[in-house]
Amino acid sequence: MSKALEGIRVVDLTVWFQGPVAAQHLADFGADVIKIERPQGGDQGRGVRSIKSLEVGDWNQYFLVINRNKKSMAIDLKKAEGQEILYRLVEKSDVFLSNLSLDLLANWNLSYDKLASINPRLVYATNTGYGLFSSASKPSFDMTVQALTGAMARLGEPGQPPIYMGMGSGDAFGGIMSALGIMLALYQRRRTGKGQYLDASLYGAQLYLAAPYLQSFLAGHRESALQQSRKQVANPLWNLYPTRGKWVYLCEPNRDDRHAVVGRALAAEAMLQDSRFKDAAGRAAHNEALIEIIENATRQHGHEELMAAFDREGVIASPVNNLADVIRDEQAWQNRYFMKTYCEEVDRDVDVRGMPVTLSRTPGELRCLGPQLGQDTELLMMELLEYQWEEIEAMKAKGAIP
Amino acid sequence: MSRALDNVIVLDLGRQFCTALSAAFLADFGARVIRLDLLPANAGPRPAGWNHEADLIHRNKESLALDLRSDQGRAVLKDLLAKVDVVVTDWQRDELAAAGLDYERVQASRPDVVYGRLSGFGPLGPDADLPPIDELAAARTGMMPILPQPGQPPVYTGSGAMHASVMMAFGVVMALFHRLETGEGQEVDVSLFGANMYGAALDLQAFLAIGKGDRLLNPISRLDVSNPMSGSLYPSADGRWVTLTMPDTDRWWPVFSKMVGIATDDPRFDSHDKRTESHRLELIEALEQAFQRHPGAYWRQAFMDNQMSADVIEQFDYPADDPQVVANRYILELDHPSFGKVKSLGFPIFMSDSSARLERLAPCIGQHTGQVLDELLGYSAETIHQLTAAGVVA
Repeated sequence: MSKALEGIRVVDLTVWFQGPVAAQHLADFGADVIKIERPQGGDQGRGVRSIKSLEVGDWNQYFLVINRNKKSMAIDLKKAEGQEILYRLVEKSDVFLSNLSLDLLANWNLSYDKLASINPRLVYATNTGYGLFSSASKPSFDMTVQALTGAMARLGEPGQPPIYMGMGSGDAFGGIMSALGIMLALYQRRRTGKGQYLDASLYGAQLYLAAPYLQSFLAGHRESALQQSRKQVANPLWNLYPTRGKWVYLCEPNRDDRHAVVGRALAAEAMLQDSRFKDAAGRAAHNEALIEIIENATRQHGHEELMAAFDREGVIASPVNNLADVIRDEQAWQNRYFMKTYCEEVDRDVDVRGMPVTLSRTPGELRCLGPQLGQDTELLMMELLEYQWEEIEAMKAKGAIP
Repeated sequence: MSRALDNVIVLDLGRQFCTALSAAFLADFGARVIRLDLLPANAGPRPAGWNHEADLIHRNKESLALDLRSDQGRAVLKDLLAKVDVVVTDWQRDELAAAGLDYERVQASRPDVVYGRLSGFGPLGPDADLPPIDELAAARTGMMPILPQPGQPPVYTGSGAMHASVMMAFGVVMALFHRLETGEGQEVDVSLFGANMYGAALDLQAFLAIGKGDRLLNPISRLDVSNPMSGSLYPSADGRWVTLTMPDTDRWWPVFSKMVGIATDDPRFDSHDKRTESHRLELIEALEQAFQRHPGAYWRQAFMDNQMSADVIEQFDYPADDPQVVANRYILELDHPSFGKVKSLGFPIFMSDSSARLERLAPCIGQHTGQVLDELLGYSAETIHQLTAAGVVA
């Protein structure tokens, strides 16, 4: 099977989640991604031992999944000799990606100007926290950036604390955004032969993530910034409802025919006969009353029973599942959103997140989980970078590589 | 200035916000995006005031208004399909087939087309033809019940659709990249389900690996957070919330403890294990009190002074008024022809040699019909006049 990114080599100098996941998307589609790590401990993501006070399991799924399909070189970039190795690698690469701070990259002589002088065709990509044209220099993480965008403050019932969209949610978004930026630059380079500098910041990505609500706010709709109660949504037919079991998400437009169908499915005479609800405007005007009536009806049933009634009438709705449901969801497995792969650490197949983007001719592939720290250092130095063994020994003696 | 996609022609058949925005993204970075507006135009109620949504999701696009119900209309479509490099759509498969816009038919006119389709639940499996509704996909992804505080209703964030939007652009550009080398087109499918799952990155992967755990199935109270110094929320004196992300508590404790007024050598909290395990709940309680001693603005400054990964939780007015957001073009200030000075969402990616553009706001329906028929399809003025008179185009 051919690969979309066949022949593209990426120098991946990233840590934690957002940068690594950006490079993972490229690696999944066939790029040769070489992760550069500090010799002592490597990427900090290797150290994650628990998530929500739960042991990560007997294999490090935090690190191994987002660094899959990659090689690893351990290089001490604080040393001039280490930087020389990286320069030689940059000469033979197409993309340089880093989510380290720009100051740190400059201190290590890895600025855009320096690397572009070595390889003018290089696509040089950074992931700053707050953008290239910001004075903010403090470290940025997913949740602290999500906090600034306003996206957290609008979620949840009024009076409740703000809501974080899930561990790694903003990083995952920043990661795909960064991968998209790199693809744009690679596409242009394939036509023009020229590399360039790009930055996809966590802040920029997360503001884009808030697009529908932020744009509405910018246009003067101040309520878009605020928490809104599910008891007051404008269209009661498109809303969350409790049952005796799971919650159910009802997704019907505010139309007379759909209102009637929902009423029939719920056997809720009060919905059908009350003249306040006879047209769309009435249902919007009396939304709170209608929501209460629907809720009284849904509470009478378990979610399975309710879904059966909805299915019978062709009502569009879904139970609100939990993670135990989704990992068994056949639809996810058939589309390769989940995959099984061999994990050396525990010598068995494990379940991992798969390929969210489906390309019919050049699909993503899962070849291996994340590398061991520095496992490819010597081999790549010899075969790709054409160092002699004596030179490698000298590099070791100087501490540039372990 | 050249732009990344300025040799690409896209046919935009997106109905939803996220699909249309995906096509707009391609236009922002140089693609010529032609939106197909079907006749008769749906004369729905126009929102009063600025149509801010259209000016975001249809910016930089052209509009071609075409009636597909006639043979002549379908012939125009066929000519158009021969010229487009990319199709972006979120229609259901039966609708596409009925309109002659399914992949097989488009490919017959344009063998190397890149055909991007947003689906609800992916191209395979029993639910491949469920409607693409983000709420349905989010409900099925497993995250909604665990986002709020305990006892609260599940939370729909809307982020899955936006993930899908960016994933679609990523898949399309990657397929274009492959095409440039090989001449081969292909289908790209991004589903709301798959995109929601990617947004649920860490919790979902943790559950896949661990296979159990109440803390992954039920909401965790903020007063029971796993690391009091990371992923935590505390109210400040003026009710504004602060949040901390300092997973490596050993590194931060000396300066952090001083900042919040807890003795650095307090024996309850003098190691990472004590802070995150044996005395975790006591530390949460102590921080709950500490942060209530000062208002949000005080804490923002303190976090800044100490270069800490911590911040005050803001509303949209913060980025809207943040000069750095404008400096980075994440939000644009523009002069709207009808509404004067307005702010509109900008571009998330900076590119040194092919920056994003804002050439025009949303087109009126059919605004570019003549231009597309003339320039792109090479129709004569007479033919265009005839098609217009017959109501095939507008």
